[in-house]
Amino acid sequence: MITNRRTFIKVLAGAAAATGARLDVAPALAQAAPVRIGVLAAKAGVTAPVGESGLRGTQFAVDRINAAGGIAGRKVELAVEEESNPKDTVERFRKLALQTKAEVITGGISTAVGLAVGPVSEELKALWLAWDATTQKGVEETIPKPRYAFRSVDNEAEAVMASILTARQLKGKVKTVAGINNDYSYGRDNWAAFLAIMKKFGMNVTPVVELWPKLGETNFTSHVAALQQAKPDLVFSSFWSGDAPILMKQAHAAGLTQGTKFVLTTAGGVHESMKKAFTPEGAIMGYNSLYFEAPNASPLLREFSKWHQERFKEWPNYESDHAYFTIVAYKAAVEKASKAAGGKWPTTEQTVEALEGIEVESLSGRRGYRSDHIMEASYYQGVTTHKNRHDFVTIDPVEVMSTKQIQKPSGTGLYDWINSWSV
Amino acid sequence: MLGGVFHAAVLFLVAAGLQLVFGVQKILNLACGSFYALGAYAGVSAVSWALAAGAPPPIFPLVLVGAGLGLALVGPVIERLLRTIYDRDESFQLLLTFALVLMFEDVIRFVWGTAPHQLSSAYLVYGQLRVGGLVIPVYNLVVIAAGGAIAALMGFLLARTRFGRIVRATAENRGMAEAMGVDVSRVYVRVFTLGVALGTVGGALVIPATAAVNEMGIDLIVEAFAVVVIGGLGSMRGAVAGALIVGIMRAVAVATYPEVEMLAIYVVVIAVLVLRPAGLFAKAAA
Repeated sequence: MITNRRTFIKVLAGAAAATGARLDVAPALAQAAPVRIGVLAAKAGVTAPVGESGLRGTQFAVDRINAAGGIAGRKVELAVEEESNPKDTVERFRKLALQTKAEVITGGISTAVGLAVGPVSEELKALWLAWDATTQKGVEETIPKPRYAFRSVDNEAEAVMASILTARQLKGKVKTVAGINNDYSYGRDNWAAFLAIMKKFGMNVTPVVELWPKLGETNFTSHVAALQQAKPDLVFSSFWSGDAPILMKQAHAAGLTQGTKFVLTTAGGVHESMKKAFTPEGAIMGYNSLYFEAPNASPLLREFSKWHQERFKEWPNYESDHAYFTIVAYKAAVEKASKAAGGKWPTTEQTVEALEGIEVESLSGRRGYRSDHIMEASYYQGVTTHKNRHDFVTIDPVEVMSTKQIQKPSGTGLYDWINSWSV
Repeated sequence: MLGGVFHAAVLFLVAAGLQLVFGVQKILNLACGSFYALGAYAGVSAVSWALAAGAPPPIFPLVLVGAGLGLALVGPVIERLLRTIYDRDESFQLLLTFALVLMFEDVIRFVWGTAPHQLSSAYLVYGQLRVGGLVIPVYNLVVIAAGGAIAALMGFLLARTRFGRIVRATAENRGMAEAMGVDVSRVYVRVFTLGVALGTVGGALVIPATAAVNEMGIDLIVEAFAVVVIGGLGSMRGAVAGALIVGIMRAVAVATYPEVEMLAIYVVVIAVLVLRPAGLFAKAAA
């Protein structure tokens, strides 16, 4: 209790000093306030498992970063929004950028969403690090020279790698090929790239049937019958979701896996569903950028696989790697730019510059962003085997190729680039 | 062709549920696809559990049918919810049943997660049949036979039994049926539960040949509607004919000109809408 005037003045002065002191430290406190990272993750439909995988990689990255003191001393807070149709997702992107005031937004799987979000990221000058969602054709038109948007690996990288492996392993052994791919850009781009590379390698193969089931189809009995009729030596498929195991199950039940070679560019995305009961040995199968049992697995990948298995009772897949990469690349860029700016938190422009050409350790090994804002990574593919401890197929031998080998360089058309190869 | 009939058998079960519920309750139930998906997931869980408990593999179709029928118990609960919109505009029905579709998607994600669920080896328990140069899994024939048997059973139930007569009377004139002493609310509960069972059993039966994925119901709703338009809304014979037309059209398109796989179905739908707007079997109301 204040007993007299002198004491009262003392208390008042003390309070004023405390307030003053608090005002003095305000900028430092703002600096240490958490950094908000917005995430767009699909939660429904065909892309839901991919969105879930991305969220797991994001959470793992953020847990590690926060345990080690955050990004340039600031803890990370995640603001997750759902990726759904392009219109709604753009609204959520705006919300994350303008209302949540996220310093960076990661995520995005569907190309249609990517095409809509890209220009908005440029318009708002909001940093967007896509997981996928940015196939080359449309993106080149809608965001030709992105400043704030950072893109994923080209659509066809997986088909390019699988085609090179096909040429290496099966030259002279296949004469007729069939394609069963989803009826949208990813499926069509992959099949076209496969045929172009077969031609480049002088494989002399004839496409006998091209099937285009819609994305999300769960019954391929008619397609399998068409494949049986066409009797191809090799079936090429870029299925990446639940349709991959369904196709193999129905193909196996119809006797198609005996004698026919399979190239499954992206089935590693649902690798635990590719059961030995119906997926043959000897197929070429791709895992995109993360193979959970990579022989050269880094301690980081081993730690993540263990964490993933303990927490979700599943082995991880590629989208965890893309998502993990976007977070650690952002951290590395901020810290690099902050150092250059004398310890201050960098502006978005400074972070963008630091991201260009950055290289960090991700779950799949070292990977980075090219100066044209396109991801670099190592891709894992190989020949399926049943010799493992699981009830699903794995690959052995494991082939690793960098996107420097399987992704067209900046400013070059895909087919010009393929034609320029010396084989 | 057989692939088309296999697809038609499954499609019939879902479309029959849609037809029955519309025919009697005048409700356009979009959630019929969700019941199919729920049946598929429950089928995987039930068979995995039964096999782990030591049940002999060849009895798995019985487990699947049991799982489908067991799951139909959600029918009375959903029907209770639908009672609020029986006398309201169709748009309310569509909104409510579409809301159910979204809710069931979340229920599936919550219970089973997002990864595909499947039975890896059940499909070939009955072996394969060689016809000419083609290899056909015997289980496909089991599903076709089950679809045919259920269609026959439904026909018998609706045409030859007391329950069927009451259902038809209610479908024809609800007020008159009520005046004759029919407990219409009880009929509605039973009919809706039967409609749910057709969907859940369909989903459960198809699962050995495919994998349960969350969106599997959505796709089938669209196809079931094509079946209904072709066959005629509310007609059980129409559901059989519509399912066969859609299934076989798709198979023929895939075998001859794969680019028109989906287009082929909708060309038929448009042709029926123009030439016979009420559908091929419109008069033979359930």
